[in-house]
Amino acid sequence: MEPVVKTEGLTKHYGKVVGVENLDLTVEEGEIFGFLGPNGAGKTTTLRLLMGMLRPTAGKAEVLGLDAWRQSVAVNAKVGYLPGDAALYDRLTGERHIEYIADFNGSGRELGMTLAERLELDVSRKVEGYSRGMKQKLALILALMKKPPLVILDEPSNGLDPLTQIELYEILGEFRRDGVTVLFSSHNLPEVERVSGRVGIIRKGTLVGTERIEDLRSKRLKNVEIIFPESVPELVRNIEGVSEVEVSGRRVQLKLKGDINPLIALLSGYRVTDFSVTHASLEDVFLEFYGRQERGAEPSEGGEAV
Amino acid sequence: MNLNLFKKTVSDRWRSTAVFGGGILAYVLMTTALYPTFRDISGIEELLDKYPKDFLRLFGVESFDITSFGNFVTAELLGLMWVIIVVAFVLGFARSVIAGEIHDGTMELLLSQPISRWSVVTSQALAIAAGIVTLVVVTVLGIVGFGAALGIEIFYRGFFAFIPVGICLLLAIAGYSLLFSTLLKDPRRVVMASAGLTLAFYMLHFAGAYWRVADRMDVFGIFHYYNPASVIDSGTVPVGSLLALLAFAAVGFTASLVVFRRRDVAP
Repeated sequence: MEPVVKTEGLTKHYGKVVGVENLDLTVEEGEIFGFLGPNGAGKTTTLRLLMGMLRPTAGKAEVLGLDAWRQSVAVNAKVGYLPGDAALYDRLTGERHIEYIADFNGSGRELGMTLAERLELDVSRKVEGYSRGMKQKLALILALMKKPPLVILDEPSNGLDPLTQIELYEILGEFRRDGVTVLFSSHNLPEVERVSGRVGIIRKGTLVGTERIEDLRSKRLKNVEIIFPESVPELVRNIEGVSEVEVSGRRVQLKLKGDINPLIALLSGYRVTDFSVTHASLEDVFLEFYGRQERGAEPSEGGEAV
Repeated sequence: MNLNLFKKTVSDRWRSTAVFGGGILAYVLMTTALYPTFRDISGIEELLDKYPKDFLRLFGVESFDITSFGNFVTAELLGLMWVIIVVAFVLGFARSVIAGEIHDGTMELLLSQPISRWSVVTSQALAIAAGIVTLVVVTVLGIVGFGAALGIEIFYRGFFAFIPVGICLLLAIAGYSLLFSTLLKDPRRVVMASAGLTLAFYMLHFAGAYWRVADRMDVFGIFHYYNPASVIDSGTVPVGSLLALLAFAAVGFTASLVVFRRRDVAP
C-alpha cells in the first residue's frame, strides 16, 4: 500500500538557516503519527512543506500520491490542516468561518457545527472576543470539518484545557477508526504517547528516528519498588535489564529496562508485601534518545537508538 | 477567480470603501459649492495669469481658463486631492490583501483550502478593482449630482468620459501595489513602496514641465497619461492613454501572479 505521506531527501533552507535537512518520512494509511521535537526542530517547516506553503530547496514531498508543491490544490482538497498558532479573521463569527471554509470545499458545514457542539464552542460570537483556547478550537474545527482522508495538525492541543484535549483525542480516535490518517506535531510527549501509534523524532531539522509507541514503551525504564515480609532475595539483581538496585531493610528499589515478566516470575516464588511499578517519563526516554544522538549514535528505524 | 474569496475580500473592505466614498462626496460637495463664488470673483483670470505658466500642471490643469467648471473641479479636486484620497484607498486595500494575510497568518488558512495561488491573486485583484470602480463612479456622480443641484452648467459627456480614465489610473497604481504586496513581507513596506513609486511618477510628471530629460522620461510614468481637464473639456475618451495605463496594470498584475506562485507563505 502506498504511504499517505512520503518525503525523500526533503530539504528546506531559509537563506543560511536550515529548516529541515534531507528528511525521509513515511506515514501509512489509517495511522496516527506523532511528529515529536522541541521548538525550532523543524516540525512546522515539514508540515508547511507537506501543505505546499513552502517550496522545497531540495528533495520531494508526496501527499496521497500527489506532489505537495506542484499539486497543492489537489492536495488541499484531500487534507485538513491546522496551522501552528492558527490565525483567524477577527471580525468574523465562528459560524461565518465554518461557512466560509465549507464554501471552499463544497461541504463540511454540518460536521463543523457538530464539532463546535462537541468542543463546546460558541460560534455565534466574533473571533475578536475569543480566548486563545476558543480560537484553537475553531481552527481545529476548520481543519476537521471536511473529514478528509488525511488530517495534518500542528500542535493541536496548544491552548486547550485538559477536558477539551480529551475530547479532541476522542475525535481523532474516531477519525482513525473511520480510516482517516492523522499526522500531528507536538512537543508534548504524554500527548504523543496517548494518541499516536507511531512517532517520528526530529531535531535540528533532521529526523533522528521513528518508533512504534509500543516499542518505545517496552524499552522505557520502569521504576520498581518491592517490599518483602522478610529479607530481600539476592536473585533480583541477576535479572536482565535490572540496574540501580537499592536495598533498604525489607524494601528494594530498582530500575528495569525491557520485559518485566522475568521479574514477576521470580517474585512468584516469594511472599511479597507490596509491589509497585512506575514508568520513567517519556521525557527521560526522549532525552536519552537525544543524548545518544549528541554522542554520535546512528539514527535508526525501529528504535535501536532508544 | 474564486467567488467565495472575492465576496469576502469585498465584504472585508466595505467599511473602508464606504468611509472613502463618504469622504470623497463631502469633498466634492465642498468643491462644487465653492465654484459659483469663485466663478463670479472679478479679475480672477488676470490673477491666474500671474502664476508661472507650468505651475497649474501640478494640479492637472493645462489651460488658464480655470473659471470653467471642468477646469475648476480638476484644479481643486481631480488633479491632486482626489488622486491622494483614492491612492490612499488603493494602497490600504493592497496592503490588506496578500501581504496583510501573510503577515496576519490567515493566508495559511486560505491556502490550505482547494484554491490556487493564481485564484487568490485574481480574486483579490478583482476585489480591489471593484472598490476602484465604486469610488470613481461615486466621485463622478457626486460632481454631476451636486453640480446639477446647484444649478451649474455641466458638460455631462466630459465627466462621464473621465470615469474610464480615473479607473485605469487607479488600476495602474493597484497593479504595482499588488506586486509589492506579493513581494514584501511587511504590509507597511507595501504602502511605503507603492506610495514612493506613485510620488516618483507624479514628481517626474511635474518636473517634465521644467526639465527636458524628465519630460522625455515622463512617458514611463502613469501621470503622463492622466489629463482630467482635457478629458472633461473634450468629452473624448483618450484610448491611447487608457491602453497605456492598462498596460501598467497588466504588467503589475502578471508579475504579481508569477511572484506569488513561487513565494513561500509563512507569517
